[in-house]
Amino acid sequence: MIECRQSQALGAYHDGELPEPSRAALAEHLRACPVCAAELGRLEKMSRLIRAAERPEMPREVLDRLHRSVDLQPRITMLHVAEVCAAIAASILLVSTVWLWRVSAAREAGPIPLWETAAVAPQDPSGVAAQEQLAQWIVQDLSRKNGHD
Amino acid sequence: MATESRHRGSTDSELVKTARAGDPSAFHELVDRYAGFLFALAVSLSGNAADAEDMVQETLAGAFRGVAAFEGRASVKTWLTRILIRQAARHCRTARRRRATFLPLEAAAESHAAGASGHTAADTRLDVMAAIGSLSPEHRAVIVLRELQGLSYEEMALALEVPRGTVESRLFRARREMQELLKEYLG
Repeated sequence: MIECRQSQALGAYHDGELPEPSRAALAEHLRACPVCAAELGRLEKMSRLIRAAERPEMPREVLDRLHRSVDLQPRITMLHVAEVCAAIAASILLVSTVWLWRVSAAREAGPIPLWETAAVAPQDPSGVAAQEQLAQWIVQDLSRKNGHD
Repeated sequence: MATESRHRGSTDSELVKTARAGDPSAFHELVDRYAGFLFALAVSLSGNAADAEDMVQETLAGAFRGVAAFEGRASVKTWLTRILIRQAARHCRTARRRRATFLPLEAAAESHAAGASGHTAADTRLDVMAAIGSLSPEHRAVIVLRELQGLSYEEMALALEVPRGTVESRLFRARREMQELLKEYLG
C-alpha cells in the first residue's frame, strides 16, 4: 500500500475532529492526492459497514433486573461493611490468641538460666573473677535442675 | 420496572445530586436513561448478551457506590462508560482464564475464516462482529466507542483514561487492522 505522510490525519478528518486550519489544508490536499482520497473512501465505507451491523436492543426484562439489582445495592453495601468488620474482628482475635499462647508458653518454660545471662554481665579486666562467677552460675543452675536445691 | 416521571425533566447533574442526597428514584431515572446505551456497548465489547448484562449490572453497582464521589468533571454518560470499560477489561481477563470468552464472536470468527460467500446482510454482520472481536481489547474499545457509539475523541479519552493522542493512535491502528480484516468488503 502506498503511504502518504498526510494519511495519519485522515481519521481525525473523517471523524470531524481535525481543527481548522489543518482541516482546510487536508481538504486541499485530498483534491490533489489520489492515495489519500482512496484511503478516505475506505474509511467512510468501513464506518458505514460497522454502523450497519445490528445493534442489540436491551430486552425489557433485562432493564427490570437492572432496576432490581440497584434496589439491592444498599443491602449489599451493608453486607459488605459487615463482612469487612467481621474479618477485622477475626484477625484481632487470631493475633490475640497467638500472643496469649506465646506469653503463657514462655511463663511455663521458667526463668532464663543464670549462665545464659553471663554474656551481658559486667566483666573484670583480668577475666578470672568473671570465669569463677560463670562457673558458680552453671553449678547453681545444674544443681537446681537436678533437684539439689 | 420503569420509574415514575417525577425526574423526567431533571438534568443528569440534578439526578446525581438528588441520588447523592439519598433519593433512589433519581438513580433509577439514570438507569432508565443509560442502561440501553451501556447494554449495547457491553454487547459490542463482550460479544454476548449474558456477559453484557453482568457487566452493566456491575457498572450500575459501581456507579451507585461511587455516586457520592462523582465530581461532575465528565458527563454522567462518560463516567458510566468509564466504569463499564473497566468492568469489560476485568471481565475479559476473567473470561480468558475460563477460556470461554466472546463465544458468539468466536463463532462469527469461524464463519469468517470459513469464507463468507454471497455477502448477505447476515454474513456482513457476522464478519464485522468477527473483525471487532478479533481486535485487542484496547483497539476494540476505540472502534466500538467511535464507530458504534459515536463518542468524540475527548469523551473517549475521558472514558478510557488515556490522553487524546493515545486515542488517536489507537484508533489509527485499529482502523488499519479492521481494513485488513474487512478488505473483501472495502475493495
